[in-house]
Amino acid sequence: MSNKSLGEFEEIVLLTVAILYEDAYGVSIKKDIETRLNRNVSVGAMRTALSRLEKKGYLKSHFGEVTKERGGKRKRYFRVTQPGKTALEEVMESRKKLWDAIPAMSFDF
Amino acid sequence: MNFERKLPIRLLQFFCHPDLLEDIVGDLHELYEENRNVGGEGKANRLLWVEVIRLFRPGIIKNILGTFATDTIGIYRNYFKVSWRNLAKNKVFSAINIISLSVGITACLIIFLFIRDELSFDNFHAKRDRIYRLCELQTWPGTNPQNVPISWPKMGYMLPDYFPEVEMCARYNNRGEELMQSGNKKLVVKNVAGVDSTFLQVFDFEMIAGNRKTALVDPLSIVITEDVARRFFNSTDVVGKALHNDGREYNITGVLKNIPENSHLQFDMLYSLSTLRADRPNFNDETGSNFMIAYVLLKPNSDVDAIEKKFPDFLTSLVDDEEINQAYKLFLQPLKDVHLASMDIEHDYQNYRKFNGTYVHVFMLTGIFILIIACVNFMNLTTARSNTRFREIGVRKSIGAKKMQLVHQFILESVQLAVIALVIGFSIGYLVLPFLNDLITRQLSMATIFSDLGLTAGILGISILLGIISGLYPSLYLSSFRPIHILKVVGSRSKSLLRSTLVIVQFSLAIGMIVSTIIVVQQLFFIQNKDIGFNKDHMLLISLNDEANEKYELMKEELQKDPHILGVTASGQRIGNNFHQYGFKYKKDTSILRIVPSNVTVDYNYLDVYEIKIKSGRNFSKEMATDDGKAFIINESFAKKLDFEDPLGQQLGHGWYDNDSLGRIIGVTEDFNFNSLHYEVNALSMVVHTDWNFSEMSVKLNGNNLQAGIDAIEKIWNENVTDSGYPFSYKFLDEHFDEVYKSDQQMGSVVTIMAILSILVGCLGLFGLASISIEKRIKEIGIRKALGATTSELLILLSKNYAALIVVSLLIASPLAYLYLDRWLTNFAFHISINPLIFLLGGLIAMIIAILTISFHTFRASRTNPVDALHYE
Repeated sequence: MSNKSLGEFEEIVLLTVAILYEDAYGVSIKKDIETRLNRNVSVGAMRTALSRLEKKGYLKSHFGEVTKERGGKRKRYFRVTQPGKTALEEVMESRKKLWDAIPAMSFDF
Repeated sequence: MNFERKLPIRLLQFFCHPDLLEDIVGDLHELYEENRNVGGEGKANRLLWVEVIRLFRPGIIKNILGTFATDTIGIYRNYFKVSWRNLAKNKVFSAINIISLSVGITACLIIFLFIRDELSFDNFHAKRDRIYRLCELQTWPGTNPQNVPISWPKMGYMLPDYFPEVEMCARYNNRGEELMQSGNKKLVVKNVAGVDSTFLQVFDFEMIAGNRKTALVDPLSIVITEDVARRFFNSTDVVGKALHNDGREYNITGVLKNIPENSHLQFDMLYSLSTLRADRPNFNDETGSNFMIAYVLLKPNSDVDAIEKKFPDFLTSLVDDEEINQAYKLFLQPLKDVHLASMDIEHDYQNYRKFNGTYVHVFMLTGIFILIIACVNFMNLTTARSNTRFREIGVRKSIGAKKMQLVHQFILESVQLAVIALVIGFSIGYLVLPFLNDLITRQLSMATIFSDLGLTAGILGISILLGIISGLYPSLYLSSFRPIHILKVVGSRSKSLLRSTLVIVQFSLAIGMIVSTIIVVQQLFFIQNKDIGFNKDHMLLISLNDEANEKYELMKEELQKDPHILGVTASGQRIGNNFHQYGFKYKKDTSILRIVPSNVTVDYNYLDVYEIKIKSGRNFSKEMATDDGKAFIINESFAKKLDFEDPLGQQLGHGWYDNDSLGRIIGVTEDFNFNSLHYEVNALSMVVHTDWNFSEMSVKLNGNNLQAGIDAIEKIWNENVTDSGYPFSYKFLDEHFDEVYKSDQQMGSVVTIMAILSILVGCLGLFGLASISIEKRIKEIGIRKALGATTSELLILLSKNYAALIVVSLLIASPLAYLYLDRWLTNFAFHISINPLIFLLGGLIAMIIAILTISFHTFRASRTNPVDALHYE
């Protein structure tokens, strides 16, 4: 289904959530992407991607405890779901298929 | 500073979807703290702004309607069902709401039609924006300065030569009615005008046959309307045929469609001005006498101011007179102003249905007022009745209705009402328009609205907008209640301050309109009944042609024998407008001085028949040979201008008289208002010239049996005026005066109707409001009664709030109305002064009507058995 497909940025966010495991919330995801991939991420872009992934069922979220920092605002933690994992695998799979099909000469420059 | 008080965060809170808000703000806070520690506060703030702005994107922004409804159609069906139930449940309030809105809409629709009709004048000419009427401001010694739309023949003739900006000029000269003949058929053609050959090129009167450019070039060419063509020939295919008049043969070179009602020029037959040159070869060179109306067509993008600046030079190029520019100042009046902005122009006889344009604004204003009053009713009643909807709102909110959804619902309800009101308003309009058309002599029709799809849509749109506007406040008010509050305590203390303010607005408008009505009616009554210095009652005016003039003395003698006829006289011009002005000279000491009074030629007994009082001197007398042409009776104003110790016997005469053979002043009359009361009395001179033709015969009838008098005249006329076959036609002088004040009378009728409607609609609202507030106080009333309050005490208690509101309204309305009316009255040179008591009277009327309205409820409440009231639950 086309609306279940993963965009490039969505894929990155989804993978990052998986990497961070129990510590995946807004700021940590943003920072992780920024340091690991060296690209700038706005809160807006990231938050939209997270919502969209959640709507597709690839992520689920829950609120953390109220803490004193962040002005008493709770963190929203994200976890990858089984369908999320499947979707990531499918992407990797399809890429792999394509890689395998490339004849060696193609990359001889 | 608290992070959440920061402007970008507040902005975010405004637009962000509430489900996402908490953790986003948390994330932003965390980032902000970090940025501040690294780069300082300024940088952190800047980055915060950037983030918030980048958060403004779909997916983050909340749904404006606040709705996540999955079943939109279902919820709308529910809205409609609930609103219908509400309408049906509270029939009185629904009726008040709908009726007042309908009345407001009807009033506005009719006023709209009226204004559209007025504004449509002369709109059908494609070049209308470039067409101007040449006018003069005349300033002559001895007469009040005046604007006139007439000019010398030479002015219009020379304009295109002198000004490169002028594309062409078309002159128009009304000749009144003419008796035309075709074979044995003799018919009077009512409005005949001589025009330049360019006339049909400047104006786009629709032509059925003939060539616009050439039809009026040759002498003795005529262009007639299809109506005239049918009357003579039973056909419109008449080009090439001829009509005769006075032994001359006129060739029909064109046929026009009948002149539309909304044209300021109304004519049935045009003849080529070149015809005139047969008798007056130098016609186009004539100066001095103003009787031509010149319409100027300018080239596109011409500068009118620049042309007007050159007018003085233009005038000096026309005549050899150094002082010409002291007497004349020319100006160009745009065609679109001719119908609605010519009230200050005199001698404006070719201006059909001329209307005072400022009254268009008055009408518009009164329409808007009524609409405001009706909308206020709606707002007041809906908010005051809000407690009946509390439970519904509470339940809706508890099961998840968002505020915006409720606002949506209530606005939808009021839009629904507005649309119902529109339909009813249309129907009322259809019913009342025929009566109104009679009153204001128009042919307005509701159907014209439907003929224009854009207009229909526009009116529907405005009604919907009206619903939205009047529904906005109630819906915000109703949806703002907290469910916990409204579900727990039924009935709340509602803010009545705003409601009181709205009532004050309503009644200020209503009182203002009542007062205006009283003063307008007073002034109109004053106009009708002011002693204008002559008697216009039962005076019949009969127009005379050459033959009738010849036989005038004969007919007069016979007429005077009839018992139904009290007097017969005649004059060169009709009383009721300004008389034509032309140059006079008079001898003071030994020098001859010039002056320009109004002039009229009269029969010997004119003053007697019109009952004009002579202040000093004597009347004209047939016995005195010099009274024919050499004796003048002047009015008091003229005497003042002349400034003789004793004007009687002083020498004066028409401008063309020889200095050595001037006439003498034989009498001075009291000032009488020969012109409309809008103007001061001008200097006037009356003279008898037996060899000049009269234009009209005035016959004074016995009021007891007018018809017998008219029949007698007709009989005598038909016996005498036989050769020319000129038909007998008459008009009452009263009718003529009615026409002079038609604009004012119509304004008076409209304002009266509107005032009645406004107080009616206002009281409807008050009626509803009173019923609600008294219902709320029913227990209080019960307790008071149980403790011994009398009915009258209760009546006062319940009415005094409203009385106070009306007093405040009176205080607000009075000064504004005074200023406006005072300015209106300056339109009339003769007017009443405003009596301050009128304002009290207006307030009193409003008060009485209002108290009577609410007394229905107060009386009932104060008479109820306290047991019923207290036992309410």
